[in-house]
This record gives sequence, C-alpha cells and structure tokens, in this order.
Amino acid sequence: MEEKYLICEDSLEGIFTGIYDAYALREGHEHVHIQVGEEENLRLFATYLHILPDPVKTDKVANTLRTRLGEHAYHSICRAAASCYPDKGEAVYRTVVDALTAGSGSRVMENLRNPHVARCFELARFTANEAHFETEFLRFQELAGTETMKDSVLFSRIGPKNNVIPFIMPHFADRLSVENFMVYDENRKLFGVHPARGEWYLVTAGETFVLQNPVWSEKEEAYQELFRAFHQTIGIKSRENKKLQRQMCAYRYQDYMVEFAQKG
Amino acid sequence: MDIRIAPQMSIMDKLKILGDAAKYDVSCSSSGSSRKNDGQGIGNTVAAGLCHSFAADGRCISLLKILFTNECIYDCRYCVNRSSNDVPRASFTPDEVCELTMEFYRRNYIEGLFLSSGILYSPNYTMELICETVHRLRTLHRFQGYIHVKAIPGADPLLIQKLGYLADRMSVNLEMATAEGLRAIAPNKHRKNILKPMRQIQNGITENKNELTLYKHAPHFCEAGQSTQMVIGALPESDYQIMSVAENLYDKFSLKRVYYSAFVNVNEDRDLPALAGGPPLLREHRLYQADWLLRFYDFKVNELLTEDRPNFNTAIDPKADWAVRHLECFPVEINRADYHLLLRIPGVGVKSARRIVAARRFGSLTFEDLKKIGVVLKRALYFITCNGRMMYPTKLEEQYIVRNLTYQNQMGRGERLPFMTDGTTYRQMSLFDMAGFDDMQRVASI
Repeated sequence: MEEKYLICEDSLEGIFTGIYDAYALREGHEHVHIQVGEEENLRLFATYLHILPDPVKTDKVANTLRTRLGEHAYHSICRAAASCYPDKGEAVYRTVVDALTAGSGSRVMENLRNPHVARCFELARFTANEAHFETEFLRFQELAGTETMKDSVLFSRIGPKNNVIPFIMPHFADRLSVENFMVYDENRKLFGVHPARGEWYLVTAGETFVLQNPVWSEKEEAYQELFRAFHQTIGIKSRENKKLQRQMCAYRYQDYMVEFAQKG
Repeated sequence: MDIRIAPQMSIMDKLKILGDAAKYDVSCSSSGSSRKNDGQGIGNTVAAGLCHSFAADGRCISLLKILFTNECIYDCRYCVNRSSNDVPRASFTPDEVCELTMEFYRRNYIEGLFLSSGILYSPNYTMELICETVHRLRTLHRFQGYIHVKAIPGADPLLIQKLGYLADRMSVNLEMATAEGLRAIAPNKHRKNILKPMRQIQNGITENKNELTLYKHAPHFCEAGQSTQMVIGALPESDYQIMSVAENLYDKFSLKRVYYSAFVNVNEDRDLPALAGGPPLLREHRLYQADWLLRFYDFKVNELLTEDRPNFNTAIDPKADWAVRHLECFPVEINRADYHLLLRIPGVGVKSARRIVAARRFGSLTFEDLKKIGVVLKRALYFITCNGRMMYPTKLEEQYIVRNLTYQNQMGRGERLPFMTDGTTYRQMSLFDMAGFDDMQRVASI
C-alpha cells in the first residue's frame, strides 16, 4: 500500500490536528506518517497531504489524551511536541497509537520497548530538562519605568533549543505573582507575559521583530554588581574546577546570565 | 552593649567579606520543602530544589549564603573566622540582609537565604539577631522562598523553637566525626551541646508532623528537615568511623542530609595536616557516593566497610566494590529480579531500576532496551543477564571484573570523577580520564 505523509505545522496544534486526521483516514496506522514543518526529501510512491491546524480537532485530541492517558502521560506528550527535533511528529503520533490503539493506555510512557515511545520519552525528557535549567538559570532585569508604565517590570531574554516558555511560565507566575514580568525566547520570537496578580499569556512577535535595547532601571546595575561579587567570592580557590562548572551550567546558558557577563 | 560595626563599610564590602566567610559551609540545597505562593508577597519553594548558578569550583549556588557577622568569640583551629585570626570583620544589619535577599530573589539569582553567623558576644545574642532578620524577611517583606538557618549550639531552646517556625531548614554542624576530635580541634565546642539542639529540632519536626495531620493549617516547623556537616581529613578518622556516625545521624536523629567537607587548611595551623595535594576530594567523593547508597539504595554501613577494612577503595566506587566482593549474588536476571536487587547492580540507578520494573510489564527486556532505559551497560554487563544470557561471555571473577572496570578508567571510558584526582596511582589514570568528563550525571541539589 502507498505511504501517506501528513505535513503539519510545527506546533502542538499542528501535531494534534495531524493525529486527528490520521485517525480520520481510517486506513490503519502502518502506512500513515506525520511530518512536521516542510516536506524535505520527497519520496516516490508516497502521497503528501498538507494539514492546517484546526482548534476544534486539537481540542478533541487533547481531551481524549487527557482522559484516556491521564495528566502525566499527556504532559510528556506535550513536552515531546515542543521539542526542537523534526522527528517529533512521528514519535508523538506512534506513541499515541501505542496508547490508544495498541492499548498501553496511561502506562504508555513506561513502554520503552517500543522505539517510538522511547524516542518520545527522550524528546520529552530533553524539553523537561531544558525547562528545568531555564527556571534555574534565566535572569530577570528590571526595566526603567516609562510614562505609561510606572510600575517595575522584570524582563528576561532566553535562547532555548526547545519551546520551553509554556512550561516555565506557571512556575514564575506562582513565584512572582505580585510582579510584572516578561520572558522572551529569541529563537522563536515568543513572549511569555505576566501582569502582576493576573494570568499569564503568550505573545508571538512575528518574523520581522527585532528586540530594541532595553533601558534598565537605576538600581539594576548595582544589584548585578553585587551578585557578580558574591558569585566570585563564594568559590573556594583550592577546589577550583572550571570544567565541572561548565558541565553543570553549559556555556549556552552562561551567555544569558549576568554573573558570567564579564567573561569577555 | 555596643555593636562593633564598621560604620563606613558599604554593602558591597560586607557582602564580599561575609560571603567569603560563609563559603566553607557546604550545604546549599533548597530542596525538601514545597510551598505555593499565597499571592501576598514573592516566593515559593520547589520540592526538588533549584540550583541557580555554579561557582568557579563547580559547586552550586542556590542560596544567598552569608554570615550575619564574622566576629567570633570562639577559637576553633580549622575556622578562618576564629578569634585569634587577624581578618577584616564585618556585620550586616537585618535590613541589609532583607534587601539583598529580596532583590536577588526577584531577579531569579537565588532560591532563598542561607544565614549563618560567627558568635557575637554570646550564642543567645547572635541567635536573636538571626531571628530578628528572618522574622523581618517573613513578615515585613512577606518573603515565601527558602530559608536555611544555623541553630547555634548553646542558644536558648525557645529561640531555636521560634526560628524553626520561620525557616525551612535548620542545621547544626557536627564538625568532627568523633567527640575527641572535636575537643582537640574546637576547644569551645562540645559534642553534647551540638547534639542537644539537633535532638530538639528532631522532636520539633515529629511533633509538628502530628500536629499537621490534625490541623491542616498549622504552621510548619522546619519543613525541609535538618542537616549537618563534618570536616573530612583534618584528623586521622577512618571512613568507617565517619560513615557509622552518618548512619547514626540518619537513623537516630532523622537528618535529611549529612554533608562532608574536604578539609582546607585555611589557617595553616601547625597541628593540622598540610595537604600537599590539595583538599582530599577523592575521599570526599567516595563518602558522598556511600552516603547516597545509604539513603537511596538500602545499603548499611556494615556492608560497605568493616573494622578490618575501614577505608573505601580509591580505585573503584563503593557500589562496584560491594558487588565484586559479593559475586554470589550475581548475575542478576533483569526480567525477574526484584527492585531491591536491581538497585544493587553497578550501572543501575534508582531511575533505571524503576523504569525496568515498569517496562518489563510489557514484555521481556533485551540489552538494547536497557540501553534506552539508561542503564550503564559497560559497568552492568558483568553482573546481569537478560533472558538468561549475558551480553557477551565474561568471567564472574573478582580480579577479572576489577581489572576490566579499572582498565576502562585508564581508557577514559570508566568512572567519571568530577575533578582531577589526588592519589598518585590514580593521577596516571585520571590523565586519560579527562576525555570522558562531559556527561557525568548532574547530582541534583548538593
């Protein structure tokens, strides 16, 4: 039988709509594949279907997964769908098939014998780890007040590989509930915005968006200096171990951290 | 009573002096406590803890670790702040500590505050200052992040009680593994005085737990438990003595963590060893490995060490060492063995053991599956079978396995140590070891 490739948008909506349509084909799952983004190498004897993200189908899939697999497995699948690797569409799709059709249900993420589940598990773990590192390593800086916005606003710029903002916002929204703050993912031009005492939301800035150099508040530099000094003094000379430091906190995070800014 | 605070000192100078003075305290964990924000101020706590940065020595920075003051009436030999040392002295005011904590915290630099102190005038006087600071932070600033404070031996039990309701974790440092050692090295400290507040905190936590089962909204007392710290290598104690003390502290004092601190001779005291090769990092590392075995792998100290074999093997880690001396337990069949037996296999950790137990419900596992699950096969392969087969033919023989495990070290494929080692035979190996440093497992919240 002919192979069918469903080409989906690179987003949770895109992948979930793809899964809905793959089931709607009613052709079994053996010869149906989900591909995220653009078709790369066209194959002979295969048909390509372009799928547009559909909020209704997305909701249906999300609800089914939630109720049939439980929150835990559902979140793993969402994390895998936020991965930066292009094979995530196929991995997520096959994992859903394993859970719903092959019947592993809420235990699906434990079925690591299935290579697709193992891949989905791996992708989800990478996103989860990166989200964890960003909650640790992202740094807020205080913006100077403007005419229209006199209250203090905290701003943070990050450059993660996976789309982690949706996973880190709940943490900061709880922790800094009384603060206005923004997290900006410069690889995806995506903002997570939290108004003080309000609900957080996402803002996409568009392809052409360029971040202007922000103006920081008066005291910002002083606190950065203090933290740099603290960071310097707390290390023990006779135990110095830059390698371990780099291993625990990779350069790609250090680039965004105020205490490593003076490195040159 | 007048306080000798140098009036002209800036907050920057104080932070440098008092951060420097606090750096030999090991504990920096922010784990064990889980609290949501109440919407009135900033802060929450996360059960697993978060490390916000890493210092040049590779140790994590999760708390703003400072002394309140480095003035001290005691003269402990190993301590840089001892009264006979001529070092610059400084003291914070409670407001300065609050300001630093709040501003660092909202910028996500830190997970909370670690407040310790030298003894200013008397234990009670110092304890009151600490109490005042933490109280202000919790009430005036409504700070809900993590707070770790030192309980100062000899302070009034009422003060310790009060502080326990404000802090997430309290700790009393044991300093030396033996009472005689402590007497020799810290003439003003007594083992009895150290154990007293430790017992008080333990009882406080137990009572609080009972209270919380009855009244859900009762205030928490040291939600994240208590910890302690021992200096390693200043006195000729054996690993067996140190680990037995640690085991006792876990069992009888219900401690959350015991920390081991490789001795650094900061004072160049002539009665203390001058360590030419730097601090005994390898020994410290082995003690931490064994500590993990006690807490998460159901090991007992007597299984790892005995009176006749009182020190850890420097060439292989304590778990592999136990395994090669108990080959009668191996090979273990991955598809049948129970969880506790799986945990005893070198190369299988808590996570992989759990995953194995979960995954084999779906069908029998192969070596390929184990690799995906995260088992370190190059270590485990000598000790396991999958469906009755070993990965490839090996001898179940102590010498052979040890030779292979350490040979891997020489080839840079073996045990990954987080530092350059100090033992002479080991140094040659560690030269080769450099290549494979990169993916040493991140040890969460040390």
